[in-house]
Amino acid sequence: MAELQKAEIVGTPALDGQYIGEMDIWPFEAPEFNRIYPFYDNLRAGKFTTTKCKKCGHITFPPQVICPKCWAEELEWVELPKMAKVVTLTETQAGAPLGFESPLIIAWLTFGDKGPLKHLLGRIIHCKEGELKEGDEVKFVTFSVPAHPFEVKKDTKVSDRVYYAFEPVK
Amino acid sequence: MAQKRNAVIVGGGTSKFGVRQAHLLDMIQEAMRACADDIPGLKPVDIDGLIVATTMAGRHSSALNTAPLVVQRLGLSPTSICIRVDTLCAGSNSAIIVAKGLIESGIADVILVTGGEKVYMPQRWETNYTQLAVNDHDWDSAMGLGVPPPFFAMIAKMHMKRYGTTKEQMAHVSVTNYNYGTDSPNGHFGGRTLTMEQALEARIIADPFGLYDCCPLSDGASAVIIASEERAKAMSNRPLVYLRGTGQHATHSMSAGWPGDTLAEWPHLKKAGEVAFKNAKLTPKDMDVIQTHDCFTISEVIELEELGFCKKGEGGAFVASGEIGIKGSIPTNTDGGLLVYGHPFGASGARQAIEICKQLQGRAIHQVKDAAFGLTHNLSGTCAQHTVVVYGKEPVK
Ligand SMILES: [Zn+2]
Repeated sequence: MAELQKAEIVGTPALDGQYIGEMDIWPFEAPEFNRIYPFYDNLRAGKFTTTKCKKCGHITFPPQVICPKCWAEELEWVELPKMAKVVTLTETQAGAPLGFESPLIIAWLTFGDKGPLKHLLGRIIHCKEGELKEGDEVKFVTFSVPAHPFEVKKDTKVSDRVYYAFEPVK
Repeated sequence: MAQKRNAVIVGGGTSKFGVRQAHLLDMIQEAMRACADDIPGLKPVDIDGLIVATTMAGRHSSALNTAPLVVQRLGLSPTSICIRVDTLCAGSNSAIIVAKGLIESGIADVILVTGGEKVYMPQRWETNYTQLAVNDHDWDSAMGLGVPPPFFAMIAKMHMKRYGTTKEQMAHVSVTNYNYGTDSPNGHFGGRTLTMEQALEARIIADPFGLYDCCPLSDGASAVIIASEERAKAMSNRPLVYLRGTGQHATHSMSAGWPGDTLAEWPHLKKAGEVAFKNAKLTPKDMDVIQTHDCFTISEVIELEELGFCKKGEGGAFVASGEIGIKGSIPTNTDGGLLVYGHPFGASGARQAIEICKQLQGRAIHQVKDAAFGLTHNLSGTCAQHTVVVYGKEPVK
């Protein structure tokens, strides 16, 4: 049966099942492909971080290479609050993009008026449909996402990856 | 000092919008044909500039450098400008802003602005998947934010909570736009009608949205001619429709940068509108007919508020009171808008411009009596950017 399908569905033989980076749903987290890779290293250590400007003190999210307020290059890594409150939410039953299981729960989160991060759209995991309510507290959580290969001269290395979401505080 | 050159929209046309059995370049040719039908005096040699607006051409049509492909297919030989622009849902409206500047400065005389998308792929999953790449990919998209309904559903929930907007009020937008759009032969849902009951009983797409609260994704293309006043007079006897003022404002690419107090406030649209009205030396009160980006019913409600056609928070009551109907204070989306005509991202701004052009020339299907001033508006991305163009039967003095 598998043989038959292979013969009937031609696809793109030239690609021969290759990983296609331009179709990836996750960031390239390896230092070879971005300059904010400490964010991902910190994720692996369970930390939610971003960059703070040493010149003007501005904290921005997502992390950057230059400060968006004063364009200084002198930035340092700081931790962000891990607790947030659900303002409103949406539960997608059908039509979630490939790679995201349904129901896909996304919430508009606030981190309080005084913090450096005011609001964010956050995916809520470890949560059943109908369980989450407006006003609920959620907390930052990390999880593994698929690794990808990349070429280093004649070798192929593998970039292990993580990402973050939020989960209900039980 | 030499007299200022004015840019005008001469006319335009669209392909059939919908789930099309056609390549992107086929549909751009159809749009060109429709544009030529609309402007009988137009010949390929008249066009010295080309701006192509598309977002998905690179991925879905394997056409990253789209403009030369359009040159070949339309028999053009541009000498002043030949580019592709991409601001997602505002693509061809952005192109119209660029064309205005090029014509007023004397760099170009006659520019074809065309926009289009081939959204539907051999397998349907790919359309939703591609949309992960039109948001801020490594951040919001990695949270699963791809197709727009979930995001705009949260906007609607917040507007309902803060301002008391109801599902019934939002349904007035879809029913009104279906009343207009049923007569648009090239519209995705042209020929269809919608009652209040049907709108309210439709299956839920993303709470609180039913099917008719959401615009479709469409394949399609549109084309308009933007020209100098003299060249426009040479190719058409119709009244001139001037591009009076424009505004385009962006504040962020992902949710952490959202500029409003909540999702129900769109200060970046307010700003874009203020800039456009100031440049046009007009106010919302001067507008006779408008095209706003009704990707969802709630979008049109909020746009009427932020553009200054009603007070903030009163958009729901405003649309329900008939003010957006043909006899209301501000007829809106008189060709059916995105909800009915459809939404091939890069094509939508030019499609709106065609309707305002026809209204101001007195030849629209749902004609607003003596319409002299109008505007078009697009939002793009996850409501990250707003684009406004103001038109008039007289130039700015
Ligand atoms: Zn700084």
